[in-house]
Amino acid sequence: MMLLEHDAKSLLGENGILVPAGVFVDSAAAIEAASLPPGPWMVKAQVAVGGRGKAGAIRAADTLAEAAAHVAALVGTKVRGRPVHGCRIEQRVTGMRESYISFSVDPAGMGVRVLMGEQGGIDIEKIAERSGGIRSSVAYDKESLREAVRSLSAGAPGALRRALGEAGQALAEIVWKFEATLLEVNPLFIRDDGSWVAGDAKLAIDDNALERQPALKSFFLERRRAYPEVALKLEEGFDYVLLNADGQIGLVTTGAGLSMALVDQITAAGYRPFNFVDIRTGQFRGDPRRLVQVLRWIAAGAQIRVVLVNIFAGITHLGEFARLLVEALRLVPEMRAPIVARLVGNGQAEAESILSASGVVLETDLDRALALALEHVPDARGGRNV
Amino acid sequence: MRAGGAMFERLFSERVGVLVQGITGRQGRQHSALMRAYGTHIVGGVSSSSTEASVDGVPVFADCRHAVAATGAEASVIMVPAYAVLAAIIEAIEAGIKLVVSVTEGMPVHDALIAARMARRHGVYWIGPSTPGLAIPGRIKLGFLPDVALAPGPVGLMTKSGTLSYEIGYRLVQRGVGQTLWAGVGGDSVKGVRFADLVPFYRDHEATRCLVVIGEIGGTEEEELAEALRAHPFEKPVCVLLAGASAPEGVTMGHAGAIIQGARGSVASKTAALEAAGAKVFSTMEHLVEHVVRTKGRA
Repeated sequence: MMLLEHDAKSLLGENGILVPAGVFVDSAAAIEAASLPPGPWMVKAQVAVGGRGKAGAIRAADTLAEAAAHVAALVGTKVRGRPVHGCRIEQRVTGMRESYISFSVDPAGMGVRVLMGEQGGIDIEKIAERSGGIRSSVAYDKESLREAVRSLSAGAPGALRRALGEAGQALAEIVWKFEATLLEVNPLFIRDDGSWVAGDAKLAIDDNALERQPALKSFFLERRRAYPEVALKLEEGFDYVLLNADGQIGLVTTGAGLSMALVDQITAAGYRPFNFVDIRTGQFRGDPRRLVQVLRWIAAGAQIRVVLVNIFAGITHLGEFARLLVEALRLVPEMRAPIVARLVGNGQAEAESILSASGVVLETDLDRALALALEHVPDARGGRNV
Repeated sequence: MRAGGAMFERLFSERVGVLVQGITGRQGRQHSALMRAYGTHIVGGVSSSSTEASVDGVPVFADCRHAVAATGAEASVIMVPAYAVLAAIIEAIEAGIKLVVSVTEGMPVHDALIAARMARRHGVYWIGPSTPGLAIPGRIKLGFLPDVALAPGPVGLMTKSGTLSYEIGYRLVQRGVGQTLWAGVGGDSVKGVRFADLVPFYRDHEATRCLVVIGEIGGTEEEELAEALRAHPFEKPVCVLLAGASAPEGVTMGHAGAIIQGARGSVASKTAALEAAGAKVFSTMEHLVEHVVRTKGRA
């Protein structure tokens, strides 16, 4: 999971990396109460995607009024599809050289790729295309990571060499310690005397390592508003993503790939899926809790017209699943939308008799089940609510 | 081709002995029984903590070294908790196992890097992490692929997703088209065997008439596959389904590797690379299935 810049910088700051002083605000009104560093400032929308500068989501402010205007203009909008819940207002750094350092897991190279450039900044892609613009090396363990930083920084002149080497070693330490999958600092600001400041920070953490990274785990749980999917995975043990708050079709599905393909198919047909979920029936162990959770979230959607259940069970007994679904529906009376279920696996006949008594429409073919579900949704592409 | 290709060939003709690491756990016990029922030659189990001498008649050993010495096993299926997978893989490789399948979800990325490098250095084929496994329908199943989706036939199937491949395999089987080698490479970004690694096997394997690939957003594995298809002529038709066209950028869609960051990892980038390499790319399950059934893997 990619951290918001503000969170990444807080983490870097706590671990000895110098970053420009800054605060997080979720509205223009919050500026007054926040203890801002001395200006002038940069106002940076906090979304965990690249290309913010080019998208106009990073703006300079010389006065408090300007900063407030930028925050007001950015919060509540979407930058590259991601909602902006707040901005980081930080001290503007000027008159320093901009360099580039990144560490990223390279699956094909089976190591951590280290990239280093004497020149960095907003046009890094163009710089990387120039020969020698960015130097690269793949490291395999802590020692080879140190060696990669040493050799990549060795070619730089004077003060740059020292800064790139020092910053590189300090950042490598963090990559190792927190099991990061990405740490990119662009720009890395460097003064003539070789001192440096991390101007930006893109830090991605391996969700799978959180159970052995207690500090990061509690951090994600505290910041659940910014990272709802991670917090949910940590607490509930399954994946759920709200796709469209005004979605029409709720999904209760198992398997990430098949659920993704269903979302694609519904979207391509011009309808709005409400959610993505990989509910993992194999982990139910006779408890309807997960189904209750997901049905409640879906029932809260204002535009929900139908719920499509799709379970392709290799192991899970469908009779048991059907019983749990009926039980969950009883516990979520606010769910009034019709339920279309497609079940394949062992115990199909038993599931059928249990579900037909409860009013759930049962179908064995997925495309037919989807068609049945979509009959409940009047608003195809070009329809009145789109 | 690395050593593992020969191992796949042998799975088609010989009864290769298989270990289950974690056989005394809930999952290990259940799936050992199902794999054996399918015909997999499970010769031993490994458990470092259990005192059971056997599970359903399968002898249980304290470690892989003893298990291999006593049974001559050459493959292993690992069913242990996520944070124990790396140690289990190292143990298997050090004991001389040549094919490792690890099904557990949630293996940390930095662990997977170590395991992937070690497997490559030793010429071991590691399928995983986070895979439902692999199968040669009618012969052997390593993992927990559902039997209803498996049948012998002409399609080489490789996939990142479990469930989406079950759905595709099931639809094809219902219409009379089965598989040669079904290989689930798993949905994580860092893994052992990648799509591109399997291309030489499928190219040389005569009974495989067509290749069905189930990919998804995130990473560059589909792009690497495209390169591998171009590097040496691949005369067989390649049909690809890519999931995640409608996924929002920056959000992980269930699989740890399924995340779009910038243009990288998007369906558009993968489609362009694969089409340039001569593959047919489909956006819905039914279109892919119809095409494969209609051509029976011929064009």
